[in-house]
Formats: sequence, C-alpha cells, structure tokens
Amino acid sequence: MNAAVAQSPIVSITNVTKDYTLGKVVVPALRGVDLQVHPGEFISIAGPSGSGKTTLLNLIGCVDTATSGVVSVAGQDTKQLTERQLTHLRLHTIGFIFQSFNLVSVLSVFQNVEFPLLLQRKLDKNQRRERVNQLLEQVGLAHHAKHRPNELSGGQRQRVAVARALVTRPQLVLADEPTANLDSVTGQHIIDLMKELNQKEGTTFIFSTHDAKVMSHANAVVRLADGKFLDRLSPSEAKRAMAAGAEGH
Amino acid sequence: MFQLFLIAFRNLGTHRRRTVLLGGAIAGVTALLVILMGLSTGMKETMLRSATTLATGHVNVGGFYKVTAGQAAPVVTAYPKILEQVRKAVPELDYAVQRGRGWAKIVSESGSLQVGVGGIDVKDEPGFRQVLQIQEGNLDGLNEQSTVLLFEKQAKRLQVKVGDTVTISAPTMRGTNNTVDVRVAAIATDVGMMSDFNVFVPSGTLRSLYQLRDDTTGALYLYLKDVNQVPHVQARLRTVLADAGHQLMDNDPRAFWMKFEVVNREAWTGQKLDITNWEDELSFITWTLTALNGLTGILIFVLLVIIGVGIMNTLWIAIRERTREIGTLRAIGMQRTRVVVMFLFEAMTLGALGTLAGALIGLAVCLGVDSAHVGVPEAVAMFIMSDRLHLVVNAGSVVGAMVFITTCTTLISLIPSFLAARLKPVTAMHHIG
Ligand SMILES: Nc1ncnc2c1ncn2[C@@H]1O[C@H](COP(=O)(O)OP(=O)(O)O)[C@@H](O)[C@H]1O
Ligand SMILES: [Mg+2]
Repeated sequence: MNAAVAQSPIVSITNVTKDYTLGKVVVPALRGVDLQVHPGEFISIAGPSGSGKTTLLNLIGCVDTATSGVVSVAGQDTKQLTERQLTHLRLHTIGFIFQSFNLVSVLSVFQNVEFPLLLQRKLDKNQRRERVNQLLEQVGLAHHAKHRPNELSGGQRQRVAVARALVTRPQLVLADEPTANLDSVTGQHIIDLMKELNQKEGTTFIFSTHDAKVMSHANAVVRLADGKFLDRLSPSEAKRAMAAGAEGH
Repeated sequence: MFQLFLIAFRNLGTHRRRTVLLGGAIAGVTALLVILMGLSTGMKETMLRSATTLATGHVNVGGFYKVTAGQAAPVVTAYPKILEQVRKAVPELDYAVQRGRGWAKIVSESGSLQVGVGGIDVKDEPGFRQVLQIQEGNLDGLNEQSTVLLFEKQAKRLQVKVGDTVTISAPTMRGTNNTVDVRVAAIATDVGMMSDFNVFVPSGTLRSLYQLRDDTTGALYLYLKDVNQVPHVQARLRTVLADAGHQLMDNDPRAFWMKFEVVNREAWTGQKLDITNWEDELSFITWTLTALNGLTGILIFVLLVIIGVGIMNTLWIAIRERTREIGTLRAIGMQRTRVVVMFLFEAMTLGALGTLAGALIGLAVCLGVDSAHVGVPEAVAMFIMSDRLHLVVNAGSVVGAMVFITTCTTLISLIPSFLAARLKPVTAMHHIG
C-alpha cells in the first residue's frame, strides 16, 4: 500500500468544477475539487446526498466533462483526448459500476457481461466464456447466465453490473454506491470480491458510499460536502467524524 | 460485430408491435411500388405490342412517289428488290412484311367511316394473330381477295356482320375515286385508338383500289429480335440504301401521314424512301406513355414521402427510447461509429425484411391480376390498346425497388442514430424518454 502511494497517481484531479445548467439556472455540483488516487488504492468517497459524488465519479470515468480544472486518468489529461481516445480509455482502463445498473435489456446476463470483452477484441470465444463464467460464479449468478436483466431482482442486476465492470480486469474501477441496492450479505460479498481483486491484481477502486461498514474496507475515505473536498481520512477517523457529525445534527 | 447484430435483431423482436407496424408500412410501399411498376410496364408493353403490330414495324422503309411535284403517294415502288437489300443488311431482323397504306371511306348501307386502310398478306404476319382477338369470322378469311378486317366498334357503326359487303372508296393520284366492294371476313375486338382509324384488307385488294403495280407497296415493316437495336438498324439502313442508289428523305420523326404537306411542297418527283422507327410512327400517341410514366412517378414519389416521414418518425422515437442504452454502451467503451452501425443495421434489417415481404405480395398481386384477365374500362382500353389488364413484373426493377426502399430506410435512420451517438454518455444515460 505504501509502495503504491509512491507511484505517480492513476487519477489526478486539480481544481475541478462542474456546473449543470438547467435552463437558465446554473447548478454548481463541484466547486474546485482536488484529489489524487494512486494505483492500488481502495478509496471511498463519502458525503451526503447531493454532495457531488456521482458527478465526481462521472468525471473520473470520462463519461462527462468538467467545467474547469484538470482531470487526469492513467497519466492522460482527459481534456486533451479526442472522443475516440476517451472511449478507448473507458474500454481498456476503466470499469464503471453505475448507480442505476444500466444493463442492455435485450441481452442475457452472460451477454451483458461479455459485451466489453467483445468490444475489446482481445480474447477468443473460449477465453471469454471462461472469464465471464468465472465472474458470474463470483457474484453468485452462475445459474442466471441465460436470464434477461428484467427477470432479475435489483440486487442481482447490480451484481451483473459489477461483473460487467470487472470482466475486462481494468486498472481502475469506479463504483457509484455499489452496495446501495444489495442486502448486507451480498453487499459484503461484493466488497470482498473487490477487495480481493484490489489485493491480487492491484486494481484501483474508487467507490462512493453512504455505508460506514463498506467504508471500513477502504484505504482512505475522501469526504465531499456541497461540491467541495472536505477531508481525506482513514476509515476509523471517518467513522468517528461521521458519528460526530451525526451527533452534531 | 456479431453482438451488434444480435442487439439489433433482439431489439426488433422485443418491440414486436413497432417492428410489425414499420415493417408492414415498408412492405406496403414496396408492394404498391411493385404493382404500379407492373401495371405501368404491362400497359406499356401491351400498348406497344398492339401498336407496333398494327400500325408500324420496329423500323419502316416507307416513302413517297411523286408523279408531279405536288402529288405525293405514300408508296414504295419496286419493293422486292429493296426488301432483298434490307434483308441482307439487317441480320437482326426477326421478320419483315410489306404493308399497303391508304386512306379511304368505308360505306355500308347504314353508315360510313373515314379510315386508314392497311394492305396485308395475313399469312406473313405472325404478330397479327397474337395481337388481335377475333370476335367473329376468321383471320384466314383475309387470304382471299376483296375481303376486309373490321374492328368491333367499326362494325357496329356500319351495322355489318361477317359475310356482309361494304364498299371502300378512295381518291387516286389521278383525282378520281376508285371503289372496291369487299366482304367482311373478320371482326376483331377493339384495340384502343388503333382500331378507331384502321381497317385491313389483303394487299392485292388495296393495290387494285389504288391501281398500283404488284411490286408497289406502302412500306416495308421490319420487326427486330431486339427492339433496342432500332437506332443501329435505322442508321445502317440509311447508309446501305443510299449506297444502293436510292433517294432518301431527310429524317423526320413523325408518322407518314403527317408528312404529305411537307413532301408536296418540295420540288422533286419520282421515288424517295423514308426510314422511320416505331416511335416516329406512333409519336402522336406516345404522349400517353409519357403521361402514364409521369403519373406513376408522381404517385410513387408522394407515397414514398408520406411513408418516409412515417418511418422517420417511428425510427426517431425508437432510437430516442433507447438513448439510455446508447449512453451505457458508450460509457462501457463502444465507439460512436459502432453505435451508428448498430442502428443502421437494425434499420437495414427491417428494410430488407419489409421490402422482401412487400415484393412478394406485390408479385403475387401482379401475377394474380395478370392471370385473372381483369377487364378495363373502355376509356383505359383506348389508351393501352387492350381490353385486358396486363401486368409485367420486371425482376430488375423489383430488386431495384427493394434496394431503393431499404436504402431510404437506412438513410433515414442515419439522422437519429447519429444524433444519439453524439450525446455525451452521461447525458444519454440520464435521458428520459
Ligand atoms: N444532470 C443534472 N442536471 C442538473 N443538476 C444535477 C444533475 N446531476 C446532478 N445534479 C446536481 O448536482 C449536485 C450533485 O449531484 P450528485 O453528483 O448526483 O450528488 P451525489 O451523487 O453525491 O448525491 C446536486 O445538487 C444535483 O442536484
Ligand atoms: Mg449519486
């Protein structure tokens, strides 16, 4: 872990702002955030609803663009990249677990998970099948491979989304409240899986969460408030800070 | 790539109602297009076949003979030698006939008609038997001299039946009227305009009416194996016949009977040959073909626009509904071009299946109507020169229509696909619709 910190950051965010425009109203979602995440870190982003967690993850995940500031991913300033290069970055470097699953409804569970591999065109059919089946096993959906997403529960869909994000073995995995729709056992299971990947493969994880239990697995908890970077704490500090914050209210 | 097609197929399957609706609309237009084309081609074919058989060859060697400068007769003298030269020069020839041409009055006890009189050797005219439907009597009756072939309406006007005698009266070059009594040998079903102003008698009878020599005729009608060779044959005949020492008239793309005035004004006397093609001789009716084509074209265009807008709308909605999915795919790492390809493929599949179904329906209707020998109203029969609806399906144009409509569908879907693919992934993912 300490060795990892010494490397150059995989995510580097400098003075980033993001405004949403709703008609004539400008909503500032991020107001100057700085963040450095190093390879192999397991970072939790915490903060109350509306504090900008999703917005920040979207910027890191290259699915949205910042209003100002610099977002660097894997050493590349995303502002300098073409749409094609950004897409390439998303496909090969980043795995994204969206808050609202976002599965392809006409494809089966297996096909959904396999899809990024098909886009990558790196593995042959057998390798893909092996990889997908292994992941489905790990998320406990081996018996649902042939089902369509609409035949699954919310938790099961979430696990498909997790499997899809991990299937390419990306350097960086972003997860927006990955356990929000899961019961605590499955949630724990997913976190264990992520942790295992983090330790075995050195995959960097950045996930947003409300859940203090989930936070306790992180190297560090980055707290956001009202679109601003609040502090970067260790899990135990965070736990205390949040407890204090709760008392303060 | 396969997965793209799979998504496209599955999407078509999932939105079955819309797919059926859209595919049905596409199939409908295609069917209509095929039927209209079949109708148009069929009418054209009928019209030209009737007209070319009765009133002109594909290429004609006609001409005028002038005793004095102002008295032109539409005849070709010493035709056997010319026919021989023509046969030698035109290997594309299917068959050639000589036709007498006259303009005369037919008189019966109860009426009279001014008509063009064709002099034919019926045994040499295979086309006649195909084009004419004999209602009464027999075409072979025209093998006998002093007989006449009338059409239904003419027979009604003259109030005559097969076996009755009518008198044909014609002005000759000498300024007197010659007459000949002829027996009605056959009455044929009307073939549109052609039957209004044409009757046919044996060539010998026509010659005796005009007191012409045996080796004189009105024109040589040449029927080619392939109509497309007409321009070549026409051009070749001009040089060959000129080289053989014949005087040729300048090319004038009109029917022979429209040329008297011009010819009479010219100073020459003797024989001049005039080489025309079927379009020249029928120039006074080909406008109907043009009108028919124009009408079909407009109808098809309007239909295509209406359906095109409908398809565009539906495709637009279909693609908008899936904007979220597009956003997801883009966020996972699908390139814009692939998103567009995916939707284009979907539209193309829909178009291909729709047009295929439509073409089959159209074909079935065309073949069905054609073999049912559906009759047409007289006004239409007049123009198409047949009392039956004839539909001809041209494989090339059916495939052409299919390709065209599929291409249109695909192109139409290009716009919404492109717009959807252009969205930022996060915008697309949060799209509501
Ligand atoms: N698409 C959007 N359009 C307008 N405002 C938005 C949009 N997405 C988020 N916001 C606003 O930006 C702020 C941060 O939102 P978000 O990043 O979703 O927070 P969190 O994920 O921490 O709940 C909120 O005030 C939210 O209302
Ligand atoms: Mg959020």
